[in-house]
Amino acid sequence: MSNFIRKMSRRAIVQALIALPALSLFRSQPAVADPDEVVEINGWILRRSDLA
Amino acid sequence: MIFDSYEAYRQAGFKPKACILGSGPAGTTIARKLGAAGIPVVVLEAGSREFSDESQDFYRGKTVGDFYFDLDITRLRFMGGSSNHWAGWCRVLDSQDFEPKAWAPDTGWPISRADIEPYLGEVHDILELPDFRPDVPVSDDIRWVQLIKSPAVRFGEKFADELDKSKNIAVVLNTYATELAGDGKRVTGAKLWSNGQDAGTFTADYFVTCTGGLENSRLLLWSNQRSNGGVVPNATALGRYWMEHPTFQGGNAILANYNEFEVDASKEAFFSPTLAAMQRLQIMNFGIRLIESPYPNVKRLIADLACTAPDMAEWMSSQLDQRLHCAAQLYVAWEQAPLASNQIELSKADVDRAGVPRIELHWKKSPLERRTLLEGLRLFGATMARKNLGRVRIDDWISNGDDYPTNEETAGHHHMGGTRMGSDVLKSVVDANCKVHGMDNLYVGGSSVFCTSGQCNPTTTITALACRLGEHLGKVIGV
Repeated sequence: MSNFIRKMSRRAIVQALIALPALSLFRSQPAVADPDEVVEINGWILRRSDLA
Repeated sequence: MIFDSYEAYRQAGFKPKACILGSGPAGTTIARKLGAAGIPVVVLEAGSREFSDESQDFYRGKTVGDFYFDLDITRLRFMGGSSNHWAGWCRVLDSQDFEPKAWAPDTGWPISRADIEPYLGEVHDILELPDFRPDVPVSDDIRWVQLIKSPAVRFGEKFADELDKSKNIAVVLNTYATELAGDGKRVTGAKLWSNGQDAGTFTADYFVTCTGGLENSRLLLWSNQRSNGGVVPNATALGRYWMEHPTFQGGNAILANYNEFEVDASKEAFFSPTLAAMQRLQIMNFGIRLIESPYPNVKRLIADLACTAPDMAEWMSSQLDQRLHCAAQLYVAWEQAPLASNQIELSKADVDRAGVPRIELHWKKSPLERRTLLEGLRLFGATMARKNLGRVRIDDWISNGDDYPTNEETAGHHHMGGTRMGSDVLKSVVDANCKVHGMDNLYVGGSSVFCTSGQCNPTTTITALACRLGEHLGKVIGV
């Protein structure tokens, strides 16, 4: 275990772990699929919005 | 004048300048042009005025490669030729069909669409056609095209009286040339067969073979073999680059409004790609024909769609409640890439009653055509979806890359190539005026001179080319 971890209090480690899910707020959002995009499924040529 | 035998014709003492072999759309049109120009011409027609099994038997042959029709049912051997079973569908090759395509070797004609356009007025009279409307762009990729279903002119019936009364045209029935003789510069004569027997030899200043898209190659191959290359001195391409219009059901469509497109009396509409789409996808030309689906098929189609897109299927179902005409079968006919390996050869084992080797046709569809079929349907489907005109389902055998079915239309009975037009003597047989390379007095009429097939039925273009050749010959012979 590194010196850095050894010097941290148990409380600080727990707080850091609790804060982890909040990091996802800073990630870029996944692209929303274009509803007009043409897709081929089971031989059908459809617009993505047809699949809703 | 019409004679029933060569003997009767011979006794009449008619002195023709030109001899045309075959009385189908090409032969009859060229004869009428020459007759109108005051040039005496004889037309030798192998059959009689009516169909007969005996005459048809000369057309038997063999196909090697892909499944194809029996060669004695895919054409007709009597006065008027194969116009006797023509369905009457008319359209002229598009301008783009004449242009070379970088992605498809050996495409491109030595003439352009503009070279035949001056004759389209005559063609409309001959085939009894109204004017074509311009193509309508549906998207950047797809054109809604017009294919006119004409009264299907039977050339033998329509022009029999006119030919009979003509002083310049003699039609000799039950008579044809089993072979031409040549010296490498000129055709020097023809060996005739009339009413089931050898009828001696015949000469004329000019010969024009218009015996059909299979038979022209057969006649010239056999003549060349017998004359040691004296009939087609540059024979590398002779019989090669043979083409058809393969035709299969490729899928189905559910349409938002069937009346969006003006359909003909058979409730059919036709679509083709733009040149830009062909270039982008590197595919050949194709035609998609919409044929109205019977009601049970529509229900099956909607049930199939429900598995993939339930809301869309529900909407389609409501459409069906409102109007019965809401679905179509999609038939695809496409342009074959010209391949030297698709060729007519003379049988080494089988001859007809006159001793002429029968045809052995080597014909296979290429991977480029398979891609044209799939990408063409995708292109059409994408346009229908993007424009919300409907939805397309491609048949499984195409999506899965399975073999071509053998129980469908297969092809259009359109026989093209074999004596193709061009300037390269290694890849063509006739020049831009349909004159056999190296020969002074031998010409070819009909779809065997086609360099490429486009996607449309050939008779309209055959007739236009025949008007052009007739006019050219009139000038050459009239000098």
